[in-house]
Amino acid sequence: MRYAWIPAAIVAAMLGAGCATKKGFEVPGQAFGCPIGEAKIASMDDLVKAKVMMEGTRTTVIPTEMRCSKSGDLLKIDANLNNDSRTVKRVSYKFRWIDREGMRAWEEEAWKPLLLYDNSNLMVNTVAPTNKVADFRLILRSQE
Amino acid sequence: MNSSARMQLFALPLAAALALAAGCAHEQTRYGDAKGVETVTNEFGSTDLQTIAESMARSMQQAPVIVSGNLPIVTVQEVKNRTSEYIDTRSITDSIRSELQKGGKVRFAVDASGMKQQTGEINRQQNEYYAREQAAEKGQMVGAQYRMEGNITSIVKQVRDVKDVYYKVNLQLWNIRNGLLEWSDEKEIRKTTTRG
Repeated sequence: MRYAWIPAAIVAAMLGAGCATKKGFEVPGQAFGCPIGEAKIASMDDLVKAKVMMEGTRTTVIPTEMRCSKSGDLLKIDANLNNDSRTVKRVSYKFRWIDREGMRAWEEEAWKPLLLYDNSNLMVNTVAPTNKVADFRLILRSQE
Repeated sequence: MNSSARMQLFALPLAAALALAAGCAHEQTRYGDAKGVETVTNEFGSTDLQTIAESMARSMQQAPVIVSGNLPIVTVQEVKNRTSEYIDTRSITDSIRSELQKGGKVRFAVDASGMKQQTGEINRQQNEYYAREQAAEKGQMVGAQYRMEGNITSIVKQVRDVKDVYYKVNLQLWNIRNGLLEWSDEKEIRKTTTRG
């Protein structure tokens, strides 16, 4: 019974290591490369909830993954849209660009129509129109 | 049937027809969303223009010569319309130019279509009515380093109840000095109209 503490210590060490590496690679103020400011983003779901908005008729098509990077000094965004239904879905989307002060960094974009086949994914990607962009929202609406 | 009964027999349907016609003629005008998805017909429309302009401008902003260059100077040449319908291609390049200009990464030199107005204004300022020190002088215009050109093509297929239109826009950015193609991109659009 002298070494009964060893398994407990190993489990504690593993848990500690797990927590330490979960978001250890992230730059402060970013999650998956995307700007998050002061928001608490612990997972991809949190990021999607923070960055995606629905306007008009809601759609069941939702982004399952979003990643951001820099292209020169411009913010580059990849968003994977998922249609998990058994029917083809038609949606439209646009990005809303926000500057450091929380103001609009660019005029309202045009809605862009998309077709998603049943049980499929579609990657939407864009780059910020100006280097004044500090944050963004992806806006979706149904076109059914 | 006497004459007044006969009159009534015709008058009622006539009144109903007139009321219906008046109802059909009722017209209403409303403002719409200029950025909304437009699907009135499957001909080239505002959504196509906006989507192409945005996609091309964003892509061009990532071209190495734009990213690394110190505000490169571009001139816009013709986008050739190789479709079977009338498309104001100047409107496409105007929108791309506006987006790039606002992005602040590119400067634009006067293009061939604006040259007459430009030289006309310089000549006008050279006459005796203008103060010499403030008048635009000849020989001071800056030439472009790059020229943007492209084309738009379409494939139209139609059977009895289905019409399918496919548009492809290709834009290129050429280095004027050495003739190298510095950037090129394409945007495709498919629209299908079914009847019934």
